Amino acid sequence: MNQSSSNHTSSQEDFLLESSASSHEELQHEDFSLEADPFDDSLDNPLDAEPVQESLLLNTEDCEQPEASAQIDLEGMDKPLHAVSICHDSHPVQTVSFQHANTLLESLEAQDVPVHYQCREGYCGSCRTQLLEGEVHYTEEPMAWINDDEILPCCCIPKTAIRIKLS
Amino acid sequence: MSYTTFNQKTFDTLKQPMFFGETVNVARYDIQKHKIFENLIEKQLSFFWRPEEVDLANDRKDFNDLPDHEQHIFLSNLKYQTLLDSVQGRSPNVAFLPIVSLPELETWIETWSFSETIHSRSYTHIMRNVVPNPAEVFDDITRNDFITRRAVSVTKYYDELIEKCSFYTQLGEGTHTINGKVVDINLRDLKRTLYLTMVSVNVLEAIRFYVSFACSFAFAERAKMEGNAKIIKLIARDEALHLTGTQHILQIMAAGKDDPEMGEIAASCKEEVREIFLDAAEQEKEWAGYLFKDGSMIGLNQQILAQYVEYITDQRIVAIGLPPIFNAKSNPLPWINSWLNSDNVQVAPQEAEISSYLVGALDSAVDTDDFGDFDL
Repeated sequence: MNQSSSNHTSSQEDFLLESSASSHEELQHEDFSLEADPFDDSLDNPLDAEPVQESLLLNTEDCEQPEASAQIDLEGMDKPLHAVSICHDSHPVQTVSFQHANTLLESLEAQDVPVHYQCREGYCGSCRTQLLEGEVHYTEEPMAWINDDEILPCCCIPKTAIRIKLS
Repeated sequence: MSYTTFNQKTFDTLKQPMFFGETVNVARYDIQKHKIFENLIEKQLSFFWRPEEVDLANDRKDFNDLPDHEQHIFLSNLKYQTLLDSVQGRSPNVAFLPIVSLPELETWIETWSFSETIHSRSYTHIMRNVVPNPAEVFDDITRNDFITRRAVSVTKYYDELIEKCSFYTQLGEGTHTINGKVVDINLRDLKRTLYLTMVSVNVLEAIRFYVSFACSFAFAERAKMEGNAKIIKLIARDEALHLTGTQHILQIMAAGKDDPEMGEIAASCKEEVREIFLDAAEQEKEWAGYLFKDGSMIGLNQQILAQYVEYITDQRIVAIGLPPIFNAKSNPLPWINSWLNSDNVQVAPQEAEISSYLVGALDSAVDTDDFGDFDL
């Protein structure tokens, strides 16, 4: 449980739920100790504290590995699996797959396919890539300029098997 | 056509081109010809930040520990960026607002220019924290030959457009004698000047800034001047959006659907556009020579920076639909991507502000009463 950011009310409720067997005195004692001690030095040492919001750290794990993926799996449903073939100057050089990642860019990176990137949110256009075959679905509206045959891997996922051209 | 702050005519906004149509009257966004500008405005507003949110306490110590030639690199880059943002904080307003015809584009230009003024203020914030006398650094911007020479290439298109537009709005098309000088003003030539100005702005935001960015991040890679890098990251995030803005304007112009004459002009200017990109790349390489004149810094030298300029120039020119110039396909500074991605480099949140926390990252309301019990 998130110690540092919880407020008094919610931790008190948690406490009541978990320790219904404790005596009345113990409860009162706990009430007092919940008041933050302004002179408690232990709070000042950031090394003692747990990271407050771990989810804000960028996922450095391989996002094509299901167990490392932060996505919630729907029960009884497999994530759609699509082949992604990569071409240089229209010669196919590599085929990878897309199944678990949040975006095509993450998926490609997890499989060691280098793609230029900057904003990862669809507004800078650094990852602009030519789509030779197949269809993609945008998870958010791309803002950067893209031509009709181009996609932004940072904000889309494949809808079908796709063939893309990386420069 | 003379400029009026509120055009009394009734006309269909959706039928106006981006520039040189009717001047804007009602600032309305319920109907939009190009929705992208509204999206850009919203994104830019969500990026709002203030320089004071970034703590630079450690940067002064870092700066004092840098050898002389690295101090030169750091300060020269800040001077150059100060120049670029001084230009960008006013020029889009002065040059484009008198001729813009769409409310959403008008507001985007204002929002864009405003965010550049934040960048300018952040340079003063950095200088105040890093050097004992910021005035010396700022005063040098207009005295230093290497900087002023670059100011010319940055501003000449803007200045030409502003001058021609002021004649056009006062006197209209035709041949005029102004202060004994004969000037020929015609709309097609004006549109051409506008297109080339927009290209030079794109070059400014898409190439020129990135040389300084690379140096700032190269310091930060060595854990030096990290507060500065944090500010540069926020600036780079804004600039990425601005360059998307100018790319959209250029592509809409080139497509010719918005204004067919503009489409013809764009098609006939390809060689000049290429020249503008090439000149900028050469100037930036020359600047890299000046930066590293007394020695390189760890992780970055003149040669690598020049390769990066070529790479970024190709990326940007391809983005506006022209063939690459240098055929530089690989990024010689791959580590720079993670710095340019404003949310990627994340230490524990309690140790540093997160750029996506928009406001309230710092309580700056310190009253003099708070120091009441201080004894010296």
